[in-house]
Amino acid sequence: MFAATLSRWTMSYFAAALIFLVLGETMMVLGFGYPVLALEAPETLALVHVVVLGWLSLLMTGALLQFVPVLVGQPLSLPSVALPALLFLIGGIATLTLGFVGLSGAIDLPVTLLPLGAAFSIVGFSVLGFSFSVTLWHARPLPLPARFVAVGLATLFGTMLLGGVYAGVLSGLIEAAGAIDLTVDGLSLHASLGLCGWLSFTTMGVSYRLLTMFMLSPDKERTSSRLVFVLGVLCLGLLAAAVPVILVGTVGRSPLFLLAVGSGAAVVAIYVGDILRIYRERRRKAIELNSRASIGAFVSLVAAAMLFVALLSAGRLDEAIGAVIYLATFGWLTGMGLAQLYKIVPFMTWLECYGPALGRMPTPRVQDLVSETSALRWFRLFYLTVAVGTLALLIGSALLFRFASLGQLIAVNALILEFVRTRRLINVPAELRLPDGLVRPGLFLPSIPHGGSHEPRSL
Amino acid sequence: MSAPETLDLEARIRDALRIIIDPEMGKNVVDLGLIYDIDVQEGGIARVTMTTTIKGCPATAFLKEAVQNCVWYVPGVEYAEVRLTYEPPWTPDMMADGAMEFAHGSIF
Repeated sequence: MFAATLSRWTMSYFAAALIFLVLGETMMVLGFGYPVLALEAPETLALVHVVVLGWLSLLMTGALLQFVPVLVGQPLSLPSVALPALLFLIGGIATLTLGFVGLSGAIDLPVTLLPLGAAFSIVGFSVLGFSFSVTLWHARPLPLPARFVAVGLATLFGTMLLGGVYAGVLSGLIEAAGAIDLTVDGLSLHASLGLCGWLSFTTMGVSYRLLTMFMLSPDKERTSSRLVFVLGVLCLGLLAAAVPVILVGTVGRSPLFLLAVGSGAAVVAIYVGDILRIYRERRRKAIELNSRASIGAFVSLVAAAMLFVALLSAGRLDEAIGAVIYLATFGWLTGMGLAQLYKIVPFMTWLECYGPALGRMPTPRVQDLVSETSALRWFRLFYLTVAVGTLALLIGSALLFRFASLGQLIAVNALILEFVRTRRLINVPAELRLPDGLVRPGLFLPSIPHGGSHEPRSL
Repeated sequence: MSAPETLDLEARIRDALRIIIDPEMGKNVVDLGLIYDIDVQEGGIARVTMTTTIKGCPATAFLKEAVQNCVWYVPGVEYAEVRLTYEPPWTPDMMADGAMEFAHGSIF
């Protein structure tokens, strides 16, 4: 019978992702890009790709390496692609970022960095996407959370293709009229497919499973969750339909856009209702910090959706869309990412270090690897800075935004220190920490050879 | 092996398994209801049927091996076999009374 094993490179993906997050926060503190500069400025595009590709997408792919097998009860196909894909992605995202910096004129860099970085990133994501897709294909019929992941991967593919076209046009490599039209008119499409499809829709699917698992809530597919899936696919399909509309150039995009907004708002409303039910019907009385800190992410998602609809109704979307994107990217996606890391890191560390000793000697619990009281204050500071940062963008105060970013940088670094303490087993009671024969895991690199002794001997 | 001896060995296996803690729940596998059946036959042959809280969980293999090792070391056991099943799937209702504090509808 299948039992998922530890993903060897997931912790390395997380480490790389967190380094990109710190880089992105530092750029915001220094006033590099929006809101000091325009939303479309090359500096802003550099910042956005550091955060969305470097942080969020590396985090998501690293997590999927571990969780796709758990979601579908099948081993990952082609697991050996994880390391080469990570190297391609780190190199690609760094090069792409430098390409945008070069485009801004801040440093004199060759413009070819942009398509080169895009190509490396596309190779990295495609290889991983192929591995995930083959795994999902072999596991049909898919449980609902895995279907969210499948759609998320499809939108990742679409987002990448559009991004590749933009990189080609901006660097002058592609001169086709259709590609230029897509670049001029379709930038928001690239962003919304990436944020709403790849990152948000996949997060929603995984969250159904993770929250249910960790809080022992009833684990069954509900009509409301299936409705979230169907409406989400409709919303993303409508967004994607804008591509041929732009290329043909005859029909207006407004009806498609409004339908997509309507279905997207319904998705958020029904999804949050489902999440409330998962919390209410949980069988574990105590809510651990990972689930508690996720509440801030759900609140941010609702707030971002309401703000979007309110701005659209008031006809002020263009002037304040940056605040909505910021709230969704940092409050919802980053908040959820940090909250889930707070459980995934100790859980994987426990398996790596204490799994082989289970039943042979006393072992700590997963919860013994963390110190919730110290981490709680950093999660509070994090969400406070998200709220202040959003407010700063709404009132147009770049200075306040940079102060909020400084607070956020401190909170993120403090949480990273908590993850390091967990990896180093610092919170584990001394008598249980490292009994004879156990080895402390590496900080972020796999310490055991492939197929090594940390795998159970018999199954 | 007489019937009382069989029952005694089953009880000792069950007690021995209480040292295995589900790392996420922090409770032992017996009180969590993860041990579905302990069948002891003539000659000290023990067959344990168990499950895990979540199908496909990465801790599954470690839990199964821990149960296997633990049963082997119970005096009187000459052969141990552990079978993993998800039929029926585990639910929190299978926990022994007091193994877990239940929530009552609130978010906090």
